[in-house]
Amino acid sequence: MDWSAVMAETLKANGYDMVAYVPDEVADRLLELLRQEDSITMVSATREEEAVAVLCGAYLGGKRGALVMQGSGLGNSINAICGLAIGIQIPFLIIISERGRLGELNPVQTPMGRAAPRILEALGIQAFRIDKAEDVAATVEGATKLAFASLLPVALILSTALSGGKTWR
Amino acid sequence: MNRLEAFRRLLRLLDREPVIANLGKNCYDLFVAGHRPENLYTWGAMGSVSSIGLGLALARPDLRVVVLDGDGSLLMNLGSLATIASLRPPNLVHIVCDTGTYETTGGQATHTAGAADLAAIGRGAGLSHVESVADLGQFERAARQSLVEPGPWFIVAKMEGTATTAKVPRRPIYDKYRFMEAIGSL
Repeated sequence: MDWSAVMAETLKANGYDMVAYVPDEVADRLLELLRQEDSITMVSATREEEAVAVLCGAYLGGKRGALVMQGSGLGNSINAICGLAIGIQIPFLIIISERGRLGELNPVQTPMGRAAPRILEALGIQAFRIDKAEDVAATVEGATKLAFASLLPVALILSTALSGGKTWR
Repeated sequence: MNRLEAFRRLLRLLDREPVIANLGKNCYDLFVAGHRPENLYTWGAMGSVSSIGLGLALARPDLRVVVLDGDGSLLMNLGSLATIASLRPPNLVHIVCDTGTYETTGGQATHTAGAADLAAIGRGAGLSHVESVADLGQFERAARQSLVEPGPWFIVAKMEGTATTAKVPRRPIYDKYRFMEAIGSL
């Protein structure tokens, strides 16, 4: 099963209007599929904090957004997640492709890989790992309901077991 | 130019357009110049207002979205200029109140007090509607044009900091709902 296709379809079915992202190899096909959807506005951001703020602006305009980034981008996103999204209760979906975890080849990706789960926990952001393609649709749907019920960002972690991880180029 | 007076003139040009102000003195002066339900005062995430404005402008093409940024704030998020230039939302008006100082933390100099030129950076990022204004008459003309002609507009306004001390009520979650209701997003 192609997890990217299922996720793109499920995001569309769950009413997402905007996807802000920093390009990433693991999410590349997902982003390409989303780009083909007329109902979804794609915003390629220069860094992850900028993407968070764009999604918050879209929410103020009545739109539903998802952030797509690598795990290494979590550090770049935190000020806007705290001072804007959590601070004034703006929900969106955070889709994180794992870095610094099983199979990592880059030494300096490993510190954030170790820290990321506890950073999310410390922020009070509920995070759900997806290991199998057959779990993608139900997890996206459940996380969407949770985010918009709690009025907080909710994270989905795309594990290397699901995605195969990054290749070494 | 005096920022409080510039904001008073800007508000006279507005009808129901949303205005998003960066944290600190821009919020205080906007509040004093004229509180209205379409004003959004931010309290954190310094540097984010240009991006909040971009998201709102893309979400609501029926609205002309006005962003009141600061020089210290924008210097934290220069990449947003490249993103705005790339997506070209015609309904975004990004005004930078360039005082050359970090006013809210005590008036320390920013790099625009030295070598940095935000208008040149905006042009370099790919923005084509860039105005540099230094007095109230120029500010009002640029603001008036930016509210009716397609943008995105990037207006760098050289201003003096003001000593406004009136504090905006700190109730950001209430303000979010008030703002969303005022612009028809709830």
